[in-house]
Amino acid sequence: MVRARTPIEEKGGLGMNEIRALIVDDSSVMRKIVERALRQAGLDALVVHEAGTGAEGLEILKTKPVDLILSDINMPTMDGLEFLRQIRAQNLAEGVPVVMITTESSEEHVKQAIQSGAQGYIRKPFTAEQVKERVLPLVRAA
Amino acid sequence: MLLNGVRAAAVVGRVSGTVRGGADEREETMAVSLRESVGRVSDPRNLDASVEEVFRLMLGIECRREAGLTVVDKESVTSVVGFGGLLSGACVFRSGSRTAMKIAAQMTGMEFDAIDNTVKDGIGEICNMLAGAWKGKVPELAANCGLSVPAVITGRDYHLHVQAPEFQLHHGYRFGEEIFEVTIVCDGLQ
Repeated sequence: MVRARTPIEEKGGLGMNEIRALIVDDSSVMRKIVERALRQAGLDALVVHEAGTGAEGLEILKTKPVDLILSDINMPTMDGLEFLRQIRAQNLAEGVPVVMITTESSEEHVKQAIQSGAQGYIRKPFTAEQVKERVLPLVRAA
Repeated sequence: MLLNGVRAAAVVGRVSGTVRGGADEREETMAVSLRESVGRVSDPRNLDASVEEVFRLMLGIECRREAGLTVVDKESVTSVVGFGGLLSGACVFRSGSRTAMKIAAQMTGMEFDAIDNTVKDGIGEICNMLAGAWKGKVPELAANCGLSVPAVITGRDYHLHVQAPEFQLHHGYRFGEEIFEVTIVCDGLQ
Protein backbone atom coordinates (compact mmCIF):
# COMPACT_ATOMS: atom_id res chain seq x y z
CA MET A 1 0.00 0.00 0.00
CA VAL A 2 1.31 3.47 -0.89
CA ARG A 3 0.61 6.06 1.75
CA ALA A 4 0.04 9.70 0.98
CA ARG A 5 2.94 12.06 1.59
CA THR A 6 2.66 13.99 4.81
CA PRO A 7 2.60 17.81 4.79
CA ILE A 8 6.11 17.71 6.19
CA GLU A 9 7.32 15.50 3.36
CA GLU A 10 5.46 17.63 0.82
CA LYS A 11 7.36 20.64 2.07
CA GLY A 12 10.76 19.15 1.38
CA GLY A 13 11.10 15.89 3.24
CA LEU A 14 12.11 17.22 6.62
CA GLY A 15 13.24 14.70 9.21
CA MET A 16 11.12 13.93 12.25
CA ASN A 17 13.01 16.37 14.42
CA GLU A 18 13.09 19.16 11.86
CA ILE A 19 9.96 21.17 12.38
CA ARG A 20 8.95 24.67 11.34
CA ALA A 21 6.76 26.05 14.07
CA LEU A 22 4.74 29.25 14.26
CA ILE A 23 4.33 30.49 17.85
CA VAL A 24 1.69 33.17 18.34
CA ASP A 25 1.56 34.92 21.72
CA ASP A 26 1.44 38.57 22.71
CA SER A 27 4.06 37.82 25.35
CA SER A 28 7.59 37.54 23.94
CA VAL A 29 8.63 35.72 27.12
CA MET A 30 5.95 33.08 26.61
CA ARG A 31 7.04 32.61 23.00
CA LYS A 32 10.56 31.87 24.24
CA ILE A 33 9.26 29.50 26.91
CA VAL A 34 7.16 27.60 24.36
CA GLU A 35 10.16 27.38 22.02
CA ARG A 36 12.33 26.06 24.83
CA ALA A 37 9.67 23.49 25.76
CA LEU A 38 9.50 22.28 22.15
CA ARG A 39 13.27 21.82 22.08
CA GLN A 40 13.14 19.99 25.42
CA ALA A 41 10.41 17.81 23.91
CA GLY A 42 12.96 16.55 21.39
CA LEU A 43 12.38 18.91 18.46
CA ASP A 44 16.07 19.84 18.24
CA ALA A 45 16.18 21.14 14.69
CA LEU A 46 13.37 23.57 15.24
CA VAL A 47 12.82 26.58 13.01
CA VAL A 48 10.61 29.06 14.85
CA HIS A 49 8.56 31.90 13.44
CA GLU A 50 7.19 34.23 16.11
CA ALA A 51 4.10 36.42 15.96
CA GLY A 52 2.94 38.84 18.65
CA THR A 53 -0.61 39.06 17.31
CA GLY A 54 -3.02 36.90 15.35
CA ALA A 55 -2.76 39.30 12.40
CA GLU A 56 1.03 38.88 12.33
CA GLY A 57 0.54 35.13 12.47
CA LEU A 58 -1.74 35.21 9.42
CA GLU A 59 0.82 37.26 7.48
CA ILE A 60 3.54 34.73 8.29
CA LEU A 61 1.33 31.85 7.16
CA LYS A 62 0.80 33.58 3.81
CA THR A 63 4.52 33.66 3.09
CA LYS A 64 6.19 30.88 5.05
CA PRO A 65 5.42 27.14 5.21
CA VAL A 66 5.01 25.76 8.72
CA ASP A 67 4.50 22.28 10.13
CA LEU A 68 3.03 23.23 13.49
CA ILE A 69 1.15 26.19 14.97
CA LEU A 70 0.98 26.98 18.68
CA SER A 71 -1.19 29.91 19.71
CA ASP A 72 -2.28 31.69 22.84
CA ILE A 73 -6.01 32.43 23.14
CA ASN A 74 -6.16 35.54 25.31
CA MET A 75 -4.56 38.18 23.07
CA PRO A 76 -5.50 41.80 22.34
CA THR A 77 -7.03 42.83 19.00
CA MET A 78 -7.46 39.33 17.54
CA ASP A 79 -7.76 36.51 20.05
CA GLY A 80 -6.48 33.01 19.39
CA LEU A 81 -9.88 31.57 18.47
CA GLU A 82 -10.45 34.27 15.85
CA PHE A 83 -6.91 33.66 14.57
CA LEU A 84 -7.82 29.99 14.21
CA ARG A 85 -11.07 30.80 12.39
CA GLN A 86 -9.19 33.11 10.02
CA ILE A 87 -6.65 30.38 9.24
CA ARG A 88 -9.50 28.09 8.20
CA ALA A 89 -11.50 30.82 6.41
CA GLN A 90 -8.47 31.83 4.34
CA ASN A 91 -7.41 28.23 3.72
CA LEU A 92 -4.01 28.81 5.24
CA ALA A 93 -1.89 26.01 6.68
CA GLU A 94 -4.11 23.18 5.50
CA GLY A 95 -3.37 19.95 7.34
CA VAL A 96 -1.07 21.70 9.81
CA PRO A 97 -1.84 20.85 13.45
CA VAL A 98 -2.76 23.75 15.72
CA VAL A 99 -2.29 23.61 19.48
CA MET A 100 -3.79 26.27 21.73
CA ILE A 101 -1.73 27.24 24.80
CA THR A 102 -3.73 29.24 27.29
CA THR A 103 -4.56 30.01 30.88
CA GLU A 104 -8.21 29.19 30.18
CA SER A 105 -8.94 25.68 31.35
CA SER A 106 -12.70 25.04 31.32
CA GLU A 107 -14.32 22.34 29.20
CA GLU A 108 -16.16 25.12 27.38
CA HIS A 109 -12.92 26.77 26.28
CA VAL A 110 -11.49 23.44 25.13
CA LYS A 111 -14.69 22.77 23.18
CA GLN A 112 -14.57 26.19 21.55
CA ALA A 113 -10.96 25.67 20.53
CA ILE A 114 -11.65 22.24 19.04
CA GLN A 115 -14.73 23.57 17.22
CA SER A 116 -12.61 26.37 15.81
CA GLY A 117 -10.19 23.81 14.40
CA ALA A 118 -7.53 23.20 17.05
CA GLN A 119 -6.17 19.69 17.42
CA GLY A 120 -4.57 20.16 20.82
CA TYR A 121 -4.86 22.19 23.99
CA ILE A 122 -2.27 22.93 26.65
CA ARG A 123 -3.07 24.83 29.81
CA LYS A 124 -0.61 27.32 31.29
CA PRO A 125 1.31 26.72 33.47
CA PHE A 126 2.70 23.68 31.68
CA THR A 127 5.72 21.38 31.79
CA ALA A 128 7.96 20.40 28.90
CA GLU A 129 6.65 16.87 29.39
CA GLN A 130 3.08 18.01 28.75
CA VAL A 131 4.19 19.77 25.58
CA LYS A 132 5.93 16.59 24.47
CA GLU A 133 2.88 14.42 25.17
CA ARG A 134 0.45 16.68 23.34
CA VAL A 135 2.51 18.06 20.47
CA LEU A 136 4.70 15.19 19.27
CA PRO A 137 1.82 12.82 18.38
CA LEU A 138 0.24 15.58 16.31
CA VAL A 139 3.48 16.29 14.50
CA ARG A 140 4.03 12.59 13.85
CA ALA A 141 0.49 12.20 12.54
CA ALA A 142 0.65 15.26 10.26
CA MET B 1 -14.77 27.44 54.74
CA LEU B 2 -14.26 25.32 51.64
CA LEU B 3 -16.43 22.56 53.02
CA ASN B 4 -19.29 24.95 53.63
CA GLY B 5 -19.05 26.39 50.15
CA VAL B 6 -18.92 23.01 48.44
CA ARG B 7 -21.76 21.73 50.55
CA ALA B 8 -23.90 24.79 49.81
CA ALA B 9 -23.39 24.49 46.05
CA ALA B 10 -23.99 20.75 46.06
CA VAL B 11 -27.26 21.14 47.93
CA VAL B 12 -28.49 23.78 45.50
CA GLY B 13 -27.56 21.53 42.58
CA ARG B 14 -29.33 18.52 44.07
CA VAL B 15 -32.49 20.44 44.87
CA SER B 16 -32.76 21.97 41.43
CA GLY B 17 -31.98 18.62 39.81
CA THR B 18 -34.69 16.68 41.62
CA VAL B 19 -37.37 19.30 42.01
CA ARG B 20 -37.02 21.29 38.83
CA GLY B 21 -35.10 18.83 36.66
CA GLY B 22 -33.36 20.07 33.49
CA ALA B 23 -29.60 20.39 33.20
CA ASP B 24 -29.82 23.98 31.96
CA GLU B 25 -31.88 25.01 34.92
CA ARG B 26 -29.48 23.27 37.28
CA GLU B 27 -26.53 25.02 35.64
CA GLU B 28 -28.26 28.36 36.03
CA THR B 29 -28.99 27.64 39.65
CA MET B 30 -25.39 26.57 40.22
CA ALA B 31 -24.17 29.86 38.75
CA VAL B 32 -26.53 31.78 41.04
CA SER B 33 -25.37 29.67 43.94
CA LEU B 34 -21.87 31.04 43.57
CA ARG B 35 -23.21 34.24 45.11
CA GLU B 36 -23.90 32.14 48.16
CA SER B 37 -20.48 30.51 48.02
CA VAL B 38 -18.15 33.40 48.77
CA GLY B 39 -16.40 31.14 51.24
CA ARG B 40 -15.51 28.62 48.57
CA VAL B 41 -14.41 31.24 46.05
CA SER B 42 -12.31 33.11 48.60
CA ASP B 43 -10.70 30.00 50.09
CA PRO B 44 -7.11 31.15 50.69
CA ARG B 45 -5.77 27.67 49.92
CA ASN B 46 -6.76 28.11 46.26
CA LEU B 47 -4.47 31.12 45.97
CA ASP B 48 -1.57 29.35 47.69
CA ALA B 49 -1.97 26.29 45.46
CA SER B 50 -2.09 28.50 42.36
CA VAL B 51 1.05 30.41 43.29
CA GLU B 52 2.94 27.21 44.13
CA GLU B 53 1.81 25.55 40.88
CA VAL B 54 2.77 28.45 38.61
CA PHE B 55 6.17 28.97 40.21
CA ARG B 56 7.00 25.28 40.32
CA LEU B 57 5.94 24.46 36.77
CA MET B 58 7.03 27.60 34.94
CA LEU B 59 10.08 28.63 36.95
CA GLY B 60 11.18 25.47 38.77
CA ILE B 61 10.94 27.47 42.00
CA GLU B 62 9.44 26.25 45.24
CA CYS B 63 7.95 29.19 47.06
CA ARG B 64 6.04 29.31 50.30
CA ARG B 65 3.55 31.65 51.87
CA GLU B 66 4.69 33.57 54.92
CA ALA B 67 2.59 35.69 57.20
CA GLY B 68 3.48 39.34 57.50
CA LEU B 69 5.59 39.63 54.33
CA THR B 70 5.36 43.02 52.68
CA VAL B 71 7.27 44.34 49.70
CA VAL B 72 9.08 47.42 50.99
CA ASP B 73 11.30 48.18 47.99
CA LYS B 74 11.04 51.74 46.75
CA GLU B 75 11.18 50.54 43.15
CA SER B 76 8.53 47.93 42.51
CA VAL B 77 6.77 46.15 39.67
CA THR B 78 3.06 45.47 39.76
CA SER B 79 1.02 43.52 37.27
CA VAL B 80 -2.77 43.54 37.21
CA VAL B 81 -5.05 41.09 35.39
CA GLY B 82 -8.74 41.88 35.53
CA PHE B 83 -11.57 39.39 36.03
CA GLY B 84 -14.90 39.87 34.28
CA GLY B 85 -18.11 37.87 34.10
CA LEU B 86 -19.33 35.81 37.01
CA LEU B 87 -16.70 37.48 39.18
CA SER B 88 -15.37 40.98 38.66
CA GLY B 89 -12.15 42.12 40.23
CA ALA B 90 -8.45 41.66 39.70
CA CYS B 91 -5.40 39.56 40.42
CA VAL B 92 -2.45 41.74 41.41
CA PHE B 93 1.18 40.62 41.58
CA ARG B 94 3.71 42.93 43.23
CA SER B 95 7.42 42.57 43.88
CA GLY B 96 10.53 44.67 44.20
CA SER B 97 12.60 45.30 41.09
CA ARG B 98 15.31 42.81 42.03
CA THR B 99 12.79 40.01 42.56
CA ALA B 100 11.06 40.84 39.27
CA MET B 101 14.38 40.60 37.45
CA LYS B 102 15.16 37.27 39.11
CA ILE B 103 11.78 35.87 38.08
CA ALA B 104 12.23 37.08 34.51
CA ALA B 105 15.74 35.59 34.46
CA GLN B 106 14.38 32.26 35.60
CA MET B 107 11.69 32.37 32.91
CA THR B 108 13.95 33.31 30.03
CA GLY B 109 17.44 32.15 30.93
CA MET B 110 18.63 35.76 30.42
CA GLU B 111 20.23 38.15 32.91
CA PHE B 112 18.70 41.54 33.64
CA ASP B 113 20.09 44.65 35.32
CA ALA B 114 17.07 46.89 34.71
CA ILE B 115 13.31 46.61 34.43
CA ASP B 116 13.08 46.45 30.67
CA ASN B 117 10.17 45.36 28.48
CA THR B 118 11.11 41.68 28.74
CA VAL B 119 10.95 41.81 32.55
CA LYS B 120 7.59 43.60 32.41
CA ASP B 121 6.34 41.08 29.88
CA GLY B 122 7.45 38.18 32.08
CA ILE B 123 5.82 39.59 35.20
CA GLY B 124 2.63 40.26 33.24
CA GLU B 125 2.60 36.64 32.11
CA ILE B 126 3.18 35.36 35.64
CA CYS B 127 0.18 37.39 36.81
CA ASN B 128 -1.87 36.09 33.88
CA MET B 129 -1.06 32.49 34.83
CA LEU B 130 -1.77 33.13 38.51
CA ALA B 131 -5.16 34.61 37.63
CA GLY B 132 -5.96 31.70 35.30
CA ALA B 133 -4.83 29.05 37.78
CA TRP B 134 -6.76 30.70 40.61
CA LYS B 135 -10.07 30.94 38.76
CA GLY B 136 -9.52 27.41 37.44
CA LYS B 137 -9.82 26.12 41.02
CA VAL B 138 -13.54 26.93 40.99
CA PRO B 139 -15.24 25.23 38.00
CA GLU B 140 -17.97 27.87 37.68
CA LEU B 141 -15.32 30.59 37.46
CA ALA B 142 -13.17 28.60 35.02
CA ALA B 143 -16.06 28.57 32.57
CA ASN B 144 -17.74 31.90 33.25
CA CYS B 145 -15.04 34.38 34.21
CA GLY B 146 -12.83 36.02 31.61
CA LEU B 147 -9.36 37.51 32.02
CA SER B 148 -8.06 40.83 30.75
CA VAL B 149 -4.63 41.09 29.21
CA PRO B 150 -2.05 42.04 31.87
CA ALA B 151 -1.20 45.65 32.69
CA VAL B 152 2.19 46.31 34.27
CA ILE B 153 3.01 49.30 36.46
CA THR B 154 6.52 50.24 37.57
CA GLY B 155 7.66 53.04 39.77
CA ARG B 156 7.89 54.27 43.34
CA ASP B 157 5.45 54.85 46.14
CA TYR B 158 2.19 53.97 44.47
CA HIS B 159 -0.73 52.27 46.14
CA LEU B 160 -3.57 50.14 44.91
CA HIS B 161 -6.89 51.03 46.44
CA VAL B 162 -10.20 49.24 45.89
CA GLN B 163 -13.31 50.63 47.46
CA ALA B 164 -15.25 48.15 49.62
CA PRO B 165 -14.38 44.87 47.91
CA GLU B 166 -16.63 41.84 48.25
CA PHE B 167 -13.56 40.05 49.52
CA GLN B 168 -9.83 40.43 49.25
CA LEU B 169 -6.99 37.93 49.66
CA HIS B 170 -3.56 39.38 50.22
CA HIS B 171 -0.71 36.89 50.64
CA GLY B 172 3.05 37.27 50.81
CA TYR B 173 5.38 34.55 49.45
CA ARG B 174 9.08 33.84 49.66
CA PHE B 175 11.60 31.97 47.56
CA GLY B 176 15.20 32.24 48.75
CA GLU B 177 15.75 35.84 49.75
CA GLU B 178 13.07 37.13 47.40
CA ILE B 179 9.54 38.07 48.40
CA PHE B 180 6.44 39.01 46.46
CA GLU B 181 2.78 39.67 47.13
CA VAL B 182 -0.29 38.35 45.35
CA THR B 183 -3.67 39.96 45.90
CA ILE B 184 -7.06 38.81 44.69
CA VAL B 185 -9.64 41.56 44.82
CA CYS B 186 -13.26 40.70 44.19
CA ASP B 187 -15.59 43.68 43.82
CA GLY B 188 -18.53 41.75 42.47
CA LEU B 189 -19.75 38.15 42.47
CA GLN B 190 -22.87 37.10 40.58
